[in-house]
Amino acid sequence: MKKILYTLLSILLFSACSGETVKDAKQENVQPSIYPDYLGVTIPVNIAPLCFCMADESALCIDAVITDSHGNNLHSQGGESANFDISDWHALLDKNRGDSLSVTVSAKYEDGWHTYLPFSIYVSADSIDYGICYRLIEPGYEVWSKMGIYERDLSSFDEFALIENTQFEGCVNCHSFNRGNPADMSLHIRGAHSATLLRHNDGPFTAYNTQTDQTLGFCVYPYWHPSGRYVAYSTNATSQLFHIADPNRIEVFDTASDLQVYDVDNNELLLSPLLKQDSVYETYPVFSADGRSLYFCAARALPEGSLQLDSIRYNLCRIDFDPITGNFGSSIDTIVYAEDQRKSVSFPRPSYDGRFLCYTLSDYGQFSIWHHEADLHLLDLSTGKSRPMTEINSKDTESFHNWSSNSRWMVFSSRRDDGLFTRPYFCHVDSEGHVSKPFMLPQQDPRRFYRDRFLSFNAPDFIVSTTHFDSYKASCLINDEFRKDFGVRK
Amino acid sequence: MKYFHIICTLLFGVAVTLFFGKAYPHHLHYQEQFQLFLFDSSYVWDVVKLPGGVADLLGRFCTQFFLYAWTGAIIIGVLLSLMQILMLRLANWGRLYGLSFLPSCLLWLFLLDENALLGGVWAVLLTLLVSWLYEKLPEGKIRRILLVAIVPVLYWMVGPLCIVFPLLQIRRSELPWNVVTLVLLIVMPIILAHFVPVPASKLWTGIHYHRYPTAIPTLLWGSALSIFALTCIVRSLQRWANASSKHVMPIVLYVLVVACMGTVVWKNCNFKAEKTMRYDFMSCHQQWNRIIETITAEKPNNQIGVTVQNLALAMRGELLTHMFDYNQNGLLGLLPDVERDAISPMPTAEALYQLGMVYAAQRTVFEAQEAILDFQKSARCYKRLAQTNLIIGKYEVARKYLMALQKTFYYCDWANETLQLLGDEEAIARHPEYGRLRKMAYQTDFYFSDHVTPQMLEDLYNSNTENRLAYEYMMAAFALTGDRDSFIKYAPKNR
Repeated sequence: MKKILYTLLSILLFSACSGETVKDAKQENVQPSIYPDYLGVTIPVNIAPLCFCMADESALCIDAVITDSHGNNLHSQGGESANFDISDWHALLDKNRGDSLSVTVSAKYEDGWHTYLPFSIYVSADSIDYGICYRLIEPGYEVWSKMGIYERDLSSFDEFALIENTQFEGCVNCHSFNRGNPADMSLHIRGAHSATLLRHNDGPFTAYNTQTDQTLGFCVYPYWHPSGRYVAYSTNATSQLFHIADPNRIEVFDTASDLQVYDVDNNELLLSPLLKQDSVYETYPVFSADGRSLYFCAARALPEGSLQLDSIRYNLCRIDFDPITGNFGSSIDTIVYAEDQRKSVSFPRPSYDGRFLCYTLSDYGQFSIWHHEADLHLLDLSTGKSRPMTEINSKDTESFHNWSSNSRWMVFSSRRDDGLFTRPYFCHVDSEGHVSKPFMLPQQDPRRFYRDRFLSFNAPDFIVSTTHFDSYKASCLINDEFRKDFGVRK
Repeated sequence: MKYFHIICTLLFGVAVTLFFGKAYPHHLHYQEQFQLFLFDSSYVWDVVKLPGGVADLLGRFCTQFFLYAWTGAIIIGVLLSLMQILMLRLANWGRLYGLSFLPSCLLWLFLLDENALLGGVWAVLLTLLVSWLYEKLPEGKIRRILLVAIVPVLYWMVGPLCIVFPLLQIRRSELPWNVVTLVLLIVMPIILAHFVPVPASKLWTGIHYHRYPTAIPTLLWGSALSIFALTCIVRSLQRWANASSKHVMPIVLYVLVVACMGTVVWKNCNFKAEKTMRYDFMSCHQQWNRIIETITAEKPNNQIGVTVQNLALAMRGELLTHMFDYNQNGLLGLLPDVERDAISPMPTAEALYQLGMVYAAQRTVFEAQEAILDFQKSARCYKRLAQTNLIIGKYEVARKYLMALQKTFYYCDWANETLQLLGDEEAIARHPEYGRLRKMAYQTDFYFSDHVTPQMLEDLYNSNTENRLAYEYMMAAFALTGDRDSFIKYAPKNR
């Protein structure tokens, strides 16, 4: 009953707040502290409204006015957050491509209104892709509850489920697209109905059994070749152990792992002895922008039975790949020798224009999601030099990331918000490698949204258009027993 | 006759209430801990947007009161009695009056299953209510149009059990309309299968009638379909059933139905599970004295019972002196390996928590919650996750759980109180539970899987030799594994 009364009271409060005039405001000499932190961020012209609230929850009302250099303005007032009208927002951004906006925030407290120094938002002329795709899952250990793969339109607040594990028994992971194009798509199902769903050239999905007698197990961590003909996979014998008294609660590690490339046209896996060495753990394969190289992470394997997990350190390596013949090169180059710095590389992601490669660096291992020290680094592929992306790194975990199709935006997952639940952030990277301050995925009522959602945004990736994913057909495929077997090139 | 009906219904309701309140209370507690009812619009929308969502929401709303078993028992008693009253309104039962209790009795049987959800009961009740209200409508075209219009609405409200409504409306004079409604009922799930994220079969059998996603609750369906079958029987035997007779026949039939169904209910009770749930409940509420009283009266002989027994003995400082007075199960009786289900890990998690193995307790509780079969969350688990995050200093995560609990009926006050502690290091240090557990934590890290070893307990004790519970567990582990040297090393005189 008390709760109901509170709710009614807050509705009354909200309605009382909206439309109030900011008067007799005390001018503060600081910029406002808002949630999410959008102060000085660079945004794409087609992003959804950056709604925000006062970081301080004691504010009774928030008032925000956005103005541009042409005299246009946009106003919003709310009890909880400033929610801008979506069409007015897009119109304002469209008029200010490559320009900046000034945001003046006032907040009402018990003692009246306070007005803060304005802050800027920079509108990049570089647009961002249609949306992102991610898995929503509780940041758990071994057992899973409800989860699914979702698509979010970045120009609005619309989120759709592609598929949820309420439709079948099992879990769903490793969604992958060819440079954000959902016409080529790969998706894994684990559990009783294990399968890999593959769609090529916007054709129908096929359910595959990716396990063969010549590989370690099921294919995971897919990455599409730019031609759409190949998908690079790794096969991993993965285990988990749990810390008894460490903030990095979980260690996910491989006891063996290999790489292979799947030829979609010929339904065969392409293997190389260099990529399946017993003494080396190879994982996270990705193709270069031109499709002629395969980048991956590699670490010296631990002696059997050893649990010296903090001595497993992955370097960033590369091998040639011939897209015509599907043959691999005869040698492996080490691109980033992280072992030397007593660090470990994971999740390499080359930009699609071939300029950069972003990777995660942590103290050890390859599952940096559970490492609070994990940060993102940017490798300039023209100079071969790496640098930490200090503009976007935080004290907490930064791990998975991907590039937009125009290579000007990055989405990355970070646990900076509360130290556990992963949120997607975006940053702009220009052709010189300058990185902007990141901004969190906009939501209509951000505090309420992120506080109420007990799910992590897992493996965010851009999509250039809606996925047109028929979840009913997909669930029929999954629940059906038929699986097409992966072949292996002789 | 009027009073006779009232008395019979009342007697039935009291019997149901007494049964659940006295004989089956821990089944109700069990139900309560596997859900988290939030007074929150997003939560409500998430529940009601699925077919059967309204019934499910009402079921969840009622289930939150099962935290107090007698409240839950009264709710069930009222619901089943209401159902019988509505049954009575559907036909002229006459001599067959006793049969009007049959659907309610079948639901009583259904509710013996700890995984049967109250949403199923609400689905039947709402269908009956709508059928009764519909009966009151005057004959005519509007009535017929309403018949077709109600079916999809009712399907959305209660799920496929709504089939009882069109079945009850079958009339020779309205055959085309009846055909339309039945076709509608067949077409709807086929179309909805393309839009609703559940297996197509669930649209035919019900999404939230039972916690097991693959289970078809036959007793629930039996109860619902018995409504149709019984009304058919009563209508076809109308003349005989309503022939003048004294109260003898209705009374005899009433006694017969209630006696038979009562016997069936009693025979189908799972008192073994009830006992296990009782141990879990007592450990959850840290009723150590009550546990000692219980194990003194009857020694537990199952995994959960032994775990709780040992924890209570240790909490009272009596584990070393009295452990062999009771059944033991080696190390697994102290701290069983964590299984991948929702219930068996909870007493283990309680022991891990009390010992000061907070990270391990947190993982165990989290995994148990994830294992809840119908993907609901648990207020009990949220509470413990808030506590463990508070203890390890993850205040923002703790805040998240606490703010969710603020939206509950029973946990709201606790959440408000605990929120005040976040970030207040001094207050946490002073707190009798959180302060103690912080001090008792491991000082050095190591990897842990699912199996607690004596070495782990020894390390825990050596992290803080004031950890009396760890000492008791460690010594008990040495005793149970026959590690004489270690036992002597740490024996009181050598400490």
